[in-house]
Amino acid sequence: MLAQKPSGESVSSADLPGEPTRRAIGHSRARAPLHRGFIGAGGVLLIAALGTDYAYYTTALWQWANFSAWLITAGLIVTLVAVILMLIDFATGRVARLNMGSFILVTVAALLSLVNAFVHSRDAWTSVVPQGILLSAVSAILLLIAGARGWSLATSRATGERS
Amino acid sequence: MRTTSLRPIAALISFVALAACGSKAGDPARQYGPDPYLPEPHEYLLPPMSVPKAIGWKAGETPRVAAGVKIEALATGLEHPRTLYTLPNGDILVVESNSPGTEPYRPKDFIAGKVKARAGADAEGGNRITLLRDADGNGKPELRTIFIEHLYSPYGIVLVGDTLYVADTDAILAFNYVPGETQITSPGVKLADLPAGPIDHHWTKSMTASADGTKLYVGVGSNSNITENGMAVEDGRAAIYEVDRLTGAKRIFASGTRNPTSLAFEPQTRQLFAVVNERDEIGPDLVPDYLTSIRQDGFYGWPYSYWGSHVDVRVHPQRPDLVAQAIKPDYALSSHVAPLGLLFSDGQHLSPLFANGAFVSEHGSWDRSPLNGYQVIFVPFVNGRPVGQPIPVVTGFLGEDNETVHGRPVGLALDRSGALLVADDVGNTVWRVSATQPGS
Repeated sequence: MLAQKPSGESVSSADLPGEPTRRAIGHSRARAPLHRGFIGAGGVLLIAALGTDYAYYTTALWQWANFSAWLITAGLIVTLVAVILMLIDFATGRVARLNMGSFILVTVAALLSLVNAFVHSRDAWTSVVPQGILLSAVSAILLLIAGARGWSLATSRATGERS
Repeated sequence: MRTTSLRPIAALISFVALAACGSKAGDPARQYGPDPYLPEPHEYLLPPMSVPKAIGWKAGETPRVAAGVKIEALATGLEHPRTLYTLPNGDILVVESNSPGTEPYRPKDFIAGKVKARAGADAEGGNRITLLRDADGNGKPELRTIFIEHLYSPYGIVLVGDTLYVADTDAILAFNYVPGETQITSPGVKLADLPAGPIDHHWTKSMTASADGTKLYVGVGSNSNITENGMAVEDGRAAIYEVDRLTGAKRIFASGTRNPTSLAFEPQTRQLFAVVNERDEIGPDLVPDYLTSIRQDGFYGWPYSYWGSHVDVRVHPQRPDLVAQAIKPDYALSSHVAPLGLLFSDGQHLSPLFANGAFVSEHGSWDRSPLNGYQVIFVPFVNGRPVGQPIPVVTGFLGEDNETVHGRPVGLALDRSGALLVADDVGNTVWRVSATQPGS
């Protein structure tokens, strides 16, 4: 759902406070970036893999490692969808510039998770311990920071970005 | 942000470097015999793989054989022939079978499915036994019938007296056999259950009988590569069972044998031997598959260790107490060759070279480059023990380019004339290897 302020000021929740209204002529509604929710969804799946890795580490029950492998795979697929949507966001003017800090956080987390998917394709204990759970932990920390920053990898034109 | 993002990138680079090292395969000759070369284990992001594409045989194409013997197709157009068995009247039984099929558990299983399909390993099995009768022994059967139908991933087969035992993946079935008959339509009677699903990762149930016919021995493979499907599903697996033929009572005769794909008694000593497929994904030269005598109540390492006491760190929790008991196998066959057939020559002469020893069929590797196996070898025996280097008997299953594979050898048997029969489950053929000079 898009939030529309009564004043008619068009804001997506991605926008930081203080953004001036720059609604294109002819647009009656705010156009929120398409990618943001998918970054959030993919990020949550990848963060959840840390939880299942930890459960496997403490119990050695194989189904936890199995969950991790699926969570990482699904997280990567959803993140890939998010990247495609981000390109559409750029192409359709929903966003205009990369939010460099979050972009680096998510990119590094995604690359680490890609490596982690291969680590998790190993068999039994060493699919998780020690390298798999370490990669999951680093990815989770990076993604939690990206989450705290609002999941947006790109914002509309006028947003200032601090990193 | 810049500084914190560098460390994971460095980690990424080191992982990729890790993946690249240690994937070079050595000479398989170092890994034949009682004391194989064993490199350090490696773990990979993507294990080294090389999967030749299955293309079958064109008309007139055959595998190559050693000097002094010739090879011809005894039967073609079969449905994934796996095991061969010669009945006392000379009729040859061909068990046509494949895995009952497993559901993917992990993302990796989808990739594994593609690998199997390329290698021709996913073809539908006939779930039946075909009978071939070559009464005049000229290598051209006069009669071919469907002997038993509607089986469930059958593999092992043995006749004791007038009862034919067939090991489906989930049970031993007993069929009444009348000498000379060419079809059995009565349903089999279950003698004993065997460990099967869920998963049924290694589905084949190899089988042989003791000389006095009182006991059956059944090889049951593990339910995973290395316990990645949990320990619960390994209960009673990776073991060789002894089954009482009359009561069906069974017990574990030996354990720790990851996938014992063929069992046979050595004719001089009456000692039980097995070929065993060892674990994957810790290197192109680990772990050697092996041929070994099977000691009663012996433990052969899987999953905790390999080749005696070499610990496998992928298994958790570890069991140092069991590792300490693990028996070192008798004879390594080199890594990833996938031995599926074991047959003692029993003094029947194809050639004087093959008078005393065992034929072993090597189905062929997928997680090793260059490829290994794809041949039938002969391991010489002295005083009931395997010794020396093996002799290649049937080769040329691989294409010249090493990228394609015509066939893959599986079950072995001797026909009534002493010719060696080789089931080929990609070429869907039974090959007959006989002496060039009959009676030599």
